Amino acid sequence: MDNQQALSTTATDMSTDPTLDSTTQRKLAAMIERLSSLHQSRVSTKTDLKDPSFESTKSFILLFTNSKQEIESSLTQIQQNSDTNPTLDLKPELEKISLSITELEKFVAESSYFLPPYEVRSSLKTISDLKQTLDSVTSKVKPRKKFSFKNKHAKKPETANVVTKEAIENEPEQQMSYKPKDSPGYRNKENEILIKEFKGSEIGEFVLSNLTNCEVRLKGCFRSLFIDRLQNCKIYVGPVLGSILIEQVEGCLFVVASHQIRIHHAKESDFYLRCRSRPIIEQSFGVRFAPYCLCYDGIESDLKESNLDDDTGSWANVDDFQWLRAVQSPNWSVLQERERIDTVKI
Amino acid sequence: MGLLSIIRKIKRKEKEMRILMVGLDNSGKTTIVLKINGEDTSVISPTLGFNIKTMTYDKYTLNIWDVGGQKTIRSYWRNYFEQTDGLVWVVDSSDLRRLDDCKFELDNLLKEERLSGASLLVFANKQDIQGALSPDEIAKVLNLDAMDKTRHWRIVGCSAYTGEGLLEGFDWLVQDIASRIYVLD
Ligand SMILES: Nc1nc2c(ncn2[C@@H]2O[C@H](COP(=O)(O)OP(=O)(O)OP(=O)(O)O)[C@@H](O)[C@H]2O)c(=O)[nH]1
Ligand SMILES: [Mg+2]
Repeated sequence: MDNQQALSTTATDMSTDPTLDSTTQRKLAAMIERLSSLHQSRVSTKTDLKDPSFESTKSFILLFTNSKQEIESSLTQIQQNSDTNPTLDLKPELEKISLSITELEKFVAESSYFLPPYEVRSSLKTISDLKQTLDSVTSKVKPRKKFSFKNKHAKKPETANVVTKEAIENEPEQQMSYKPKDSPGYRNKENEILIKEFKGSEIGEFVLSNLTNCEVRLKGCFRSLFIDRLQNCKIYVGPVLGSILIEQVEGCLFVVASHQIRIHHAKESDFYLRCRSRPIIEQSFGVRFAPYCLCYDGIESDLKESNLDDDTGSWANVDDFQWLRAVQSPNWSVLQERERIDTVKI
Repeated sequence: MGLLSIIRKIKRKEKEMRILMVGLDNSGKTTIVLKINGEDTSVISPTLGFNIKTMTYDKYTLNIWDVGGQKTIRSYWRNYFEQTDGLVWVVDSSDLRRLDDCKFELDNLLKEERLSGASLLVFANKQDIQGALSPDEIAKVLNLDAMDKTRHWRIVGCSAYTGEGLLEGFDWLVQDIASRIYVLD
């Protein structure tokens, strides 16, 4: 989770929340400010051993665990009650529990700006499990609940989208899967050097798909880059204003800059990144990260134009969405300085 | 309730609407939410988990749940279905390769009984990108026309980058929900 972003999000939420009285709001505002400056100091001094956010994480866990246990024991209680007295109306009890779970969920959301990613993930999992237990208890206690739900929704009037529907029906093509045109890009190539320079003209998205043993050099700025199925390729790319999506790559080298970078199904590849937010990986292993090291005539102004001119160090803050534990994911690592390539001039 | 009462009480207030934003990762959900709330959108990380944003829109209070769309966390979407009044499905109109994936996930979602009463707004996002599909084309790819006739739905082209189309979409959604929920009282 990006602390900066989450911080501002939560701050607005709370200050505009009418259910909080002014004292609480003031306290929250003060707390947020404190956390914010702590965050800043942590960013500047990375070797802070006594992480000050520890206190709040600890109290979060305490509160969360207690609530979880309360909910669990209520659920067990309900089950026992219904076993001993099947005619008892347990609906209000179940609704209360459902509300408690929602409260707990909100609590996680509101705390997520200071929690480490691991705590967020495991709390979400716990909540998911609680809901599942609630569902199964509910269906045991009130087997006809689902039924009444259906009836309620069956009586909806049909209106609204008339205009949209007509517009679509008037189109000549009626086949099930409509095949749109392709985006600009390089596709299905082997053993080639592919060079492109984006100049002045407004370039939107660009695609690199199904390339083997290729070297790609893209100079200039553009909006977004989609990459899929690459084998043993070297990819050198100027600043991308939006995001880069990389899927199914193996044995590749990437030198890319973008606001967001998502990497899925990557194997044994190196990424030299400049990134404004946290790079993320999913279903990947053997991937290594290092800072951006590309050079061509005019790259400085391109980087500036794309607001990627300073290195925020984000390239090393990789989130592995599949790694639930607090310890370092085994799927990625930071490339040792002596193993890194030199600046590449294209 | 013990400790639970320390956690802020949430009341289902009058004129409150619960809106769930979902869609594939990278489609622009978080950017849209921050943009309509007038916040800085220059540094946004992919969402690990979810964000809740409470905002006032007309005379309604919207609770917008923005849930991460990365594949490994899509299984959590179902945690947020309960009591959803409006569903916003966000599509990256420039990501042509994953449109199949996008259709598959949307179809699954629409089968959900707990969402059967929710109004559906499809945002064909990133219209500012040259080469993005138009809302009509997106509607065709997703085969929205074949949707259950009882569903209230609409597709709107937008750009979280320029802000275009966002209010039009939310206007429709809020009006549609209001006409279903609050017309009786
Ligand atoms: N050009 C352009 N880029 C956009 C637009 N909306 C979002 N983006 C970019 O698309 C990328 C993804 O945006 P996010 O808001 O993080 O996407 P998300 O749907 O929240 O993604 P997850 O949290 O992973 O599910 C970012 O780099 C945004 O800057 C748009 O309308 N136009
Ligand atoms: Mg997001």
